[in-house]
Amino acid sequence: MTTTTATSERLQSTFKRFVEVGRVVLVNDGPSAGNLAVIVEIIDHNRALIDGPTTSVPRQSFPYRNLILTPYTIASLPRGAGNGAVKKAFEKAGVLEKWQSSGWAKKLAARKQRKNASDFDRFQIQLAKKSRREEVRKAYVKEKKASA
Amino acid sequence: MGRFTEYSVIGRTLPTEATPEPKLYRMRIFAPNEVVAKSRYWYYLRQLKKAKKANGEIVAINVIHEKKPLKVKNFAIWLRYDSRSGTHNMVKEFRALSRAEAVEAMYQDMAARHRARFRSVQILRVAEIEKKEDIRRPYIKQLLEPGLKFPLPHRRTKSKAWYAANRPVSFSFIVF
Amino acid sequence: MARSKEVAPNVGRLSRSQVAAKRGLFKGKKTSTAPAKTESPAHTEKTVGGKANGEKRLVPTNKASKYYPAEDVKKPKVSRKSAGKTALRSSITPGTVLILLAGRFAGKRVVFLKQLDSGLLLVSGPFKINGVPLRRVSQAYVIATSTKVDIAGVSIPETVNDSYFAKSKAAKGSKEGEFFGEGKEKKAFPEEKKSEQKSVDAALIASIKKVDNLAKYLKASWGLSKGDRFHELKF
Repeated sequence: MTTTTATSERLQSTFKRFVEVGRVVLVNDGPSAGNLAVIVEIIDHNRALIDGPTTSVPRQSFPYRNLILTPYTIASLPRGAGNGAVKKAFEKAGVLEKWQSSGWAKKLAARKQRKNASDFDRFQIQLAKKSRREEVRKAYVKEKKASA
Repeated sequence: MGRFTEYSVIGRTLPTEATPEPKLYRMRIFAPNEVVAKSRYWYYLRQLKKAKKANGEIVAINVIHEKKPLKVKNFAIWLRYDSRSGTHNMVKEFRALSRAEAVEAMYQDMAARHRARFRSVQILRVAEIEKKEDIRRPYIKQLLEPGLKFPLPHRRTKSKAWYAANRPVSFSFIVF
Repeated sequence: MARSKEVAPNVGRLSRSQVAAKRGLFKGKKTSTAPAKTESPAHTEKTVGGKANGEKRLVPTNKASKYYPAEDVKKPKVSRKSAGKTALRSSITPGTVLILLAGRFAGKRVVFLKQLDSGLLLVSGPFKINGVPLRRVSQAYVIATSTKVDIAGVSIPETVNDSYFAKSKAAKGSKEGEFFGEGKEKKAFPEEKKSEQKSVDAALIASIKKVDNLAKYLKASWGLSKGDRFHELKF
């Protein structure tokens, strides 16, 4: 815990994501799991005060253990900013759009969709996979014949 | 002891002919529930005044709620505790959202560092430190540095698989 | 335990009901006929002597017991409750695709048509798609999926009720003859049941065909495979 601004500038750290005021985090536990929030204030070495006014995450203290740091930050956010200020800054930074277009978010969404798939959906996925395999096989045989 | 709540307990000795209107005593007590709060009230009162539960009564007990439960504050707790060899006074500092939360952290800290149980710790005073300069402890000071930031180098990742081919790696430069 | 060889101490190979079936005590022929009962009047009239006794007296044929209970035995209260109609799980509505879990058609996906008076579910494969005929199943042995088939056009004839599924009691031939398969003809499936099946299924199949892959889905049977965690699956 000797991170001063001076030392972090001097050292070329390999770490890219830091716990800091304005860091956008992904909540990984509890009722708002899967939503984005912003670190508003660092409480101590184990938890921070987070807030997500646009993503329906209520302002609360949350352990880092159950947070995932994202590459996004809201640089201008002052320490202990209020709910309205966080909302404004969050929207201005356009974090949500960046997040939604990221591969990470898409993967999470796809996983969620797979998990919520009904029995009929799973059957249709199986059919689609089957037809894909068939296409690949056909193309492979064709290619093989052509090269032989 | 579980989660703490701050109570305001008011009590007095039973009125007698000599003192038809006995003095009321109020205490702020941190306890997990009302029963413990009342018990602690009589424990302290009989040490401080000539009164005990057998000839006294609780007039009121109320929960004291935190005024701003979403603001991070720095608290100083003055306490006195009985170690195995004697009695000591201490001032500890905590960063928390409420007084009750700070007290809970204090009991945990005392148990961890000094093996002190709830019964051997007496809280003398709990106060918010309003000015940054008044903070004495370096472990709280370091959290107030402007532009504070630190990485999370040691992470536990949960795997969904029943069996893992490799041991999990908890240290990673690419920190999630 | 003679029939049920022990597989572990005090644990037989067969269950109680299997042993009972093997012993076959129910098969024994009952030879004796119950003797005909003769009704006797409750009272008989007798003449008695003595002037003050009124000459005649009614004497009960069966004397009342001398024993009289010292304490009143309380009669249990007669319950006025009656069993209501079996409540249907909220996930099962007419047209729901169900997965059968037990019986001959276990693993088959079928269409729920309606609840019968007995509380059982009336389902149809449809027969032409997956071989499951009009059939009754208990909702306990069924997984309800979220897939629904539009059955607005399907009319279920009045004749398809609980008695439709009752087994006809055929006259029993001699035990031995039955054993050797003598004089046993394969009963033809009744024509009217065939036509009822067809009439119900015709509209059902028409609406199934409107949805892509639905017929294929009903034709395929369901099962758990490696890596499937049942508690995490959604149907």
